[in-house]
Amino acid sequence: MASHLLVLIVFSTLVSVVFAMLLREDRKARVRFALMTFGAFVLSAVVVGWLMYPFPS
Amino acid sequence: MEREKAIVDERRAGAAIPACLFAFLVPGAGHLYLGRVTKGLAFLGAIGALFALGVLMDAGLQMHLGFDDPLAFLRSLAQMALGVPYFLARAFGFEAGKVTSATYEYGNTFTEVGGLLNILVVLDAYDVAVGRKR
Repeated sequence: MASHLLVLIVFSTLVSVVFAMLLREDRKARVRFALMTFGAFVLSAVVVGWLMYPFPS
Repeated sequence: MEREKAIVDERRAGAAIPACLFAFLVPGAGHLYLGRVTKGLAFLGAIGALFALGVLMDAGLQMHLGFDDPLAFLRSLAQMALGVPYFLARAFGFEAGKVTSATYEYGNTFTEVGGLLNILVVLDAYDVAVGRKR
């Protein structure tokens, strides 16, 4: 897996699943929580990457 | 009524120790032992995938014990929290990883986070065993 974005997506998916199973009890709440956590992971990584763009080294 | 509750509490407490032990040894096994199949399989799949992908991405699994390099020690503890898969991977020759690999640090992160998540899973198994959670 050489793609940074693919690694980010796989990592976010797996961690979101574990968090959702740990922190929510019913199925609907788990799915919603996992999607929110996944979105937060990916969005925050993209935003932080964008903020660091002017400072490459 | 009180006596029945005491017996149930005692049984739950009795299940807590093996549940935590199984959960530590294999991610999700504690929940499977307690009959929480969905949760157990989800933990086994997700944490197992984190670890397997980390190893495939050339993670280093060296055991670092001692405080000369505290961060390496903590990193090593996090990986060890994966239980049997960590020690099996070491036994099968995946210990060294590949420092020059482009995905080496990703692999380290995947295996360390997998171990840290497994600690949360062990605590969850305890809560389920004593009846604090479903």
